Amino acid sequence: MKLIDVARVIRSKNAGPVTLSFDLMFEDEAHYRHAIQSPALSVGAIARLYGVDPQRVRVYPYPVAFAIKIAIDRKVVAGTPGDRDVYGAQQHGPLLEIEL
Amino acid sequence: MKHVERLKSDLIAGGKRAPMRILSASGQIGYGLPLDSLAQGFARKPHLVGADMGSVDPGPAYLGTGTMGPSLTGAKADLGRVLEGSRALDIPMIVGSAGTGGAKPQLDSTAAMIRELAREKGLHFRLATIAADMPKSMVSDAVRRGRVRPIGGMTPLTEADVASADVIVGQMGSEAFQRALAAGADVIIAGRACDTAIYAALPGMLGYPMGPTMHMAKIVECASLCCVPGGRDAMLGTLEDEGFVLESMNPERRATPMSVAAHSLYEQDNPYEVFEPDGVLRVNDANYVAVDARRTRVSGATWTPARQHTVKIEGATRLGERCVLLCATADPRVIEGLDTIVPAVDRNVRSMLPPEAVDYTVHVRRYGIDGVIDWPTPPTVMPREVFLLLEFVAPTMAMAKTACTMTKQYLLHHGFPGRLSTSGNLAFPFTPPEVEAGTAFRFSIYHIMDVAALAPLFPVTVEDL
Repeated sequence: MKLIDVARVIRSKNAGPVTLSFDLMFEDEAHYRHAIQSPALSVGAIARLYGVDPQRVRVYPYPVAFAIKIAIDRKVVAGTPGDRDVYGAQQHGPLLEIEL
Repeated sequence: MKHVERLKSDLIAGGKRAPMRILSASGQIGYGLPLDSLAQGFARKPHLVGADMGSVDPGPAYLGTGTMGPSLTGAKADLGRVLEGSRALDIPMIVGSAGTGGAKPQLDSTAAMIRELAREKGLHFRLATIAADMPKSMVSDAVRRGRVRPIGGMTPLTEADVASADVIVGQMGSEAFQRALAAGADVIIAGRACDTAIYAALPGMLGYPMGPTMHMAKIVECASLCCVPGGRDAMLGTLEDEGFVLESMNPERRATPMSVAAHSLYEQDNPYEVFEPDGVLRVNDANYVAVDARRTRVSGATWTPARQHTVKIEGATRLGERCVLLCATADPRVIEGLDTIVPAVDRNVRSMLPPEAVDYTVHVRRYGIDGVIDWPTPPTVMPREVFLLLEFVAPTMAMAKTACTMTKQYLLHHGFPGRLSTSGNLAFPFTPPEVEAGTAFRFSIYHIMDVAALAPLFPVTVEDL
C-alpha cells in the first residue's frame, strides 16, 4: 500500500530556518497503526529517501491526532542562495510513493 | 499597571479564576484581516487582543534589509482595525515581531504607523515599544564565554560571524511584555518576540496556570489555523481555571479535538515540546474534549520553568547583490544534456571574464527536473519542457549582472554534440531576461544564548499619545 493512498495529509514546512518538518496524518487509528509500524518510515529509510545522514532525521509518533511527525535538518539554511524552497512547503514529494 | 489591576479585580476572586477571553486577531498581521470574524471577536468582549506580525519563515532578506513582508498600506490598515477594536473596549492590544523581522527599523516603522493611526482616529492611549536588537559586543562576549550553542544543523557561532552580521535580534518572551503591561501600556508593539508571549504574558501576571496558558497561546497565535477547515479568521481562546476552550470567530471553522491536537505538529520539530526563554511547555498529557461541534476544551499541558534563561538569537548577513536569469527550453537534447551544458557554459564564461569579475556564485534551478526538491535520483522520464532559473550573487549588482548577461548569451548559443536547434537553446518569456533581485542575505545566526537576566536585553519605552 502506498503512503499517498492511506494518508489524509502529507505536508512539509520549515520548523525554523534549519529544520524541515513533515506531518503525515491518517483518517483513523487503523491506518495510523499500519503506517507507524512500517520500516519504510524508519529513520534510516527517511534518511535514504532524502539523501541525508540518519543522525539528521527524527521520527515522532503522535497517536493523539493519528499522525506521524518527521523532522530533518535542512541541507541549506532557508533563504540562503541556492535554497530551492524558502518555506519548505513543497518537500513532501519523495514521501508520496513510499510503499508501506 | 491599570489593565492588570482591573483584570485582577474583575477575574480573580477567592482564589478562583473566572474565564478570561483572549482574542487572536491574526497570525500574520498586514496581509488583510477577515473583517466579519474580527468584528465577531470584539463583540465577544475579549480581555486582551493580540496579533503576530513576524517570523523567520519568509527568509533572511526582511531581517537583513529592515523592510516588511506585507505592504505598508496593508500593515497600517490591519493595525488600525485592531487598534480601534481594542480602544473601544479599553483592553490591551499586543503585537509581536513588528514588521516581519522585529529589528529596530521595522519596530520603528510599525510604531510610527500606530502614532499616525492615533492622530488620524483621535485616539489617546499609552504606547509601549520593546526593542529586540542584540548588541554585537554582548553576543560576542557570550560566544567567548561558551554561552551560545547552535540550533539544528547550524555551525557553532564565532566572533567573526557576529562581527560580519548586519542585524542580530533576540526573541523576547513573556517577561518583556509583562514589564510593558506593568508600566501601564494600552498598546504594546514589540520587536522580535516568541509568538506565544503575546498571549501568555497577561494571563501569566493574573495567575492563570502556565501549562494551559502557554498551550493556548501556542495554538491561538496562528488564529483559526487549528480548525477544520483552517483559515486566517480571528480565534478566541477562553482560559479557565484548569484549561481552555477554543472557538473560531468564523462560524464555518470548527475547532475539533482532532484538529486542535493536530495543530501541535504545525511548524514544530518535536510536537510534544515547545521551548520558551523562561521554560518548556509539554503537551504529552494534554486532553482534547469537544464542547460542541465548533469548540474544543483542552487541559493537561505542563510548564516547567527554566533554571537557565535562554534567548533564541537570529542574525542576517549580506552576501552580495542578486541578479537572476529567467529562461526555458523545450528541446529534448538540451534537456538531456543540461548536466554537462550548464557547467561547460559556466567554465567558459569565467574564463573570459577579467579576474576581478569572477567573484560570483551561480545556483541553477531546473524546474521540471529538480528545481524544487534535491531528489536523490533523476526522473525516469525527462519532461517536455524545463524552466531554468539561474541565480547570480556578486559583491556588486554590476558584477552580478555582467555574469548573468554573459551566461545568458553563451547558454543560448552553446554548441554540443547532437544539437538540433542550432539557432538557440533557450526560450525567453520576455526581455531583458536578466532581473535585478536585490540584496542577498543568509541567516548566519540561529542559535541559543544563555543569559543571566532577560530584562536588560529587551528595553521597554513608554509614551502617552
